[in-house]
Amino acid sequence: MRKQERRAIICVLIAAVLFGGMVLFTWRFVRDGSKWASFYGNTQIYTDGMINRGTVTDRNDEVLMDCTPEGIFYNSDRGIRCATVHAVGDPKGNIATGAINVFKSQLIGYDILNGTYDTSAEGKKIKLTIDAEANRAAYNALGDRTGTVGVFNWKTGEIVCMVSTPAFDPADRLPTDKKSSYYFNNFLSGTMTPGSIFKLVTSAAVIDNMPGKDDFSFTCDGKNEYHGTDFTDVYAHGTVDFRSALADSCNGAFGKLTREVGADTMKRYVDKLGLTKPVDINGIETASGSFSFPSDNDVTLSWAGIGQAKDLVNPCSMMVYMGAIANEGEAVQPSLIKNATFIKEITGGKSLGNYLSKSTANELKDMMKNNVTSNYGEGNFPGLDMYAKSGTAETGGGRSEAWFVGFIDNKNAPYAFVVWVKDPGYGSQVAAPIARTVLNELINY
Amino acid sequence: MLAIYILFVCIVSLLTTRVTPEVWGYFLVEDGGNHPITHWENVIGRAKSVDLNIPLKTISKNHALLSRTKEGRWIFKDIGSKNGSEINGYKLKTDKRYFINPGDELVMGGVHCTIAPASLEESRNNLFMREMDKSPVAPWKILLAITVFQAMTIVQLILGMGKEINVMSLFSIVILSAVMWIYITFFKAMGRKGFEMEMIAFFMTTLNLAIMTSFDPDGTFKQLLAALVGIALMVFMCIYLRDLERTKKARGILIGLSALLLIINLIFGANKYGAANWIMIGGENGISVQPSEIVKLAFICIGAGTLEELYNQKNTMMYAGFAFFCVGCLAIMGDFGTALIFFATFLVVSFLRSGDLSRMILTVAGSGLMGLMVLRFKPYIASRFAVWGNVWEFADDKGYQQTRTMSFGSGGGLLGLGAGNGSLKHVAASNTDLVFGFTMEEWGFIIAVLMVLCIITLSLFAVMSIVAGRSTFYTIGACGAATMFLIQTILNVFGSVDLFPLTGVTFPFLSSGGTSMIASWAMLAYFKAADMRENASLAVRKEDQYA
Repeated sequence: MRKQERRAIICVLIAAVLFGGMVLFTWRFVRDGSKWASFYGNTQIYTDGMINRGTVTDRNDEVLMDCTPEGIFYNSDRGIRCATVHAVGDPKGNIATGAINVFKSQLIGYDILNGTYDTSAEGKKIKLTIDAEANRAAYNALGDRTGTVGVFNWKTGEIVCMVSTPAFDPADRLPTDKKSSYYFNNFLSGTMTPGSIFKLVTSAAVIDNMPGKDDFSFTCDGKNEYHGTDFTDVYAHGTVDFRSALADSCNGAFGKLTREVGADTMKRYVDKLGLTKPVDINGIETASGSFSFPSDNDVTLSWAGIGQAKDLVNPCSMMVYMGAIANEGEAVQPSLIKNATFIKEITGGKSLGNYLSKSTANELKDMMKNNVTSNYGEGNFPGLDMYAKSGTAETGGGRSEAWFVGFIDNKNAPYAFVVWVKDPGYGSQVAAPIARTVLNELINY
Repeated sequence: MLAIYILFVCIVSLLTTRVTPEVWGYFLVEDGGNHPITHWENVIGRAKSVDLNIPLKTISKNHALLSRTKEGRWIFKDIGSKNGSEINGYKLKTDKRYFINPGDELVMGGVHCTIAPASLEESRNNLFMREMDKSPVAPWKILLAITVFQAMTIVQLILGMGKEINVMSLFSIVILSAVMWIYITFFKAMGRKGFEMEMIAFFMTTLNLAIMTSFDPDGTFKQLLAALVGIALMVFMCIYLRDLERTKKARGILIGLSALLLIINLIFGANKYGAANWIMIGGENGISVQPSEIVKLAFICIGAGTLEELYNQKNTMMYAGFAFFCVGCLAIMGDFGTALIFFATFLVVSFLRSGDLSRMILTVAGSGLMGLMVLRFKPYIASRFAVWGNVWEFADDKGYQQTRTMSFGSGGGLLGLGAGNGSLKHVAASNTDLVFGFTMEEWGFIIAVLMVLCIITLSLFAVMSIVAGRSTFYTIGACGAATMFLIQTILNVFGSVDLFPLTGVTFPFLSSGGTSMIASWAMLAYFKAADMRENASLAVRKEDQYA
């Protein structure tokens, strides 16, 4: 008898297997429950493969998308639909970073206690931080060119404008190819050659690491040959110091500055300024930039220092860096979901730490103002306390892309911005007017 | 909350039970002291693991059996010892049973022994010890809690389903409640005390009826009838199992009937969801029966055996042959889930019988090879293995049922959407194979997990209660039934949430299906038969309780 009793332990083992499995399943349930619940096969929350509850609005409660059992309804204005489609998402969920995908579990009102239980079955309202009117202004300003405009509040972190083109009307027929560039959000998922806007990164490295920067001087002959390679400029700048080299965006001078700070310092600075890591926006991860600073090839290093060579930057991370310069060196994490505004206004958004020291930030800020006054012209930005840097990225085969990045220091409108357009013109001529239009829309609203 | 309370009390009561072994007499060995005899069936021998251990070289490892008849007499049987045994100078033949009375001189391998009856004082002590035992919880509070739960279920169903509901389905729950009260009051009046297992079963059945109502209100009443038949069958089996000799005799008939059922099934089997494991009686609206569920009951009875039988090669061979036949029939029908249950139960029961781990491993290896052959020739089974662990990548194909289970299930959150509000019911087999997900969606994750804990509790209780068991028959019976419950639950739950390939077996009590419900209730009889708490079980005759 006793033997049989002892052998009965095998039943306990089987019970342990069952129990272990339940523990594993419980863990998965807690971890993935919201993902499971928002699966498209869940007919509680999907009708005809489309999510049937939840509303997305802009910061002013303008409804951008309303999901109902009868279908998904977008804003009545076509311009707003196209301008916000990348932020909101398309009915089929092809835009990977759209709110309809990434905030799905919030949209259906899932929580682990009640699941998708919802007496009204209306779902939850998600209020985005973007401003529909500003988005439309940016969309119209970009026109039929490929590009992106991003603006965020460098104190609170709220993204007020996020437009990517080419865009499409989500209420109309959708592009059939799921991998189509229409579904791609350049602001979040793109990485582009930065061109001259990268000189703001090199400048930060110079300010911190080159004691003799104030005595720096370089004579630009417009050709600037170095080891058999020309670092051509638009015209001969003559003799420039560090400050005017940035204002004139002198390639020859910045090539030399880069060589003087060295490859290791440059590498350290792209990491330090958050350009090589993804930015986390309410759980959305942006693409991360990539750079290469060879220590054994001065020519390539020089190119890398002026934003060419293998440099690739993500527009959102660049915008965060602009915010850090404006905010005395402290970077603020951008966000897309609006909540607890009152507290945020006072304390500011979540800090990403100090990208720069206060003095370095202020010196850069001063130089960026100098760019505007001495080069772009303060008169081009009426009503805006503008600090900026333009860029024209050479992308090979004679093509170029225009950039304009920076921030304004208006008391009630602390906005940092990034504009990128695939257009052969110069950054200050092509991209700067777009920034001006969008910022004016935001301030005058 | 109520559900948690009900299950908590039952589970705690069952798991904290301590059972004092009864002492039936003493086994005296010259110079070797005396051993209390605590079982009805004992092995005498040199091996450490035997019940009455005599560590002398002239004694064989497993020398002889000593068993108690229900009249209180002792039977001695030499099971092929090397040096033989004598009673009062008479040389005993191997494998023959002899009565032995207290005081008789027993010589085993030259060692003199005798049996002494338990003294009166001992008997009284026995009684006292048993009274110290934790007595089963009074059923009334839990009973009331279950009733409130049932009432709330009805309200929820009305709110959740509106016009789709019919009176009969709600009435079924009321009837179940009434039967529960009658059952417990009646047996309580008969002096019985332990009802935890039945209450767990009643609770699970209530949930089953609610799920059935939500799925198809017209089927609820049928389901209730099945539960009533199951309860009746359980009571019958409990009473029948009391008499071991009678039960042993019935086994021959059971083997015949089971074989017949399976063969009929093979010939007339109707195909439902990929396996021909159904018999339809009376056309479209007739009754459909799943014979394999009924055979499960016989399978355990046939596998269980008294200690004497365990040392009998013929009995073992017979069982192995029967098991092979059952698994074979099920495999031909294409019901591989149930075949797996039978096979696993066979393994556990064999292990309990022989303790031979190496043979078990060989069996598993051999059947593993056979399993591979099945995969080779049954591509639809192989495809289930292929999606295993990756169901989300095959969400609209082979992983359809699993992904829906998890999706709708997690949609229920911890508390559930409420009875009748679920959407998983529109997926095929949601109230049987995917019932775990159904429960999650409508009743919440907590209750779904508690259902699994119920099964675990029943099984652990079976294991704990055998400490004071009388015959290995009951021990093996309870463990076999526990294994069946556990394996069924593992296959059902793990299959539907992608921890294991989907096999399509039922969750005991919870899954819809008349035959499954009957079998689940009847299976409880094996647990009840092993419950040795004082007056706890109606499967133990009252007058049998003390010597």
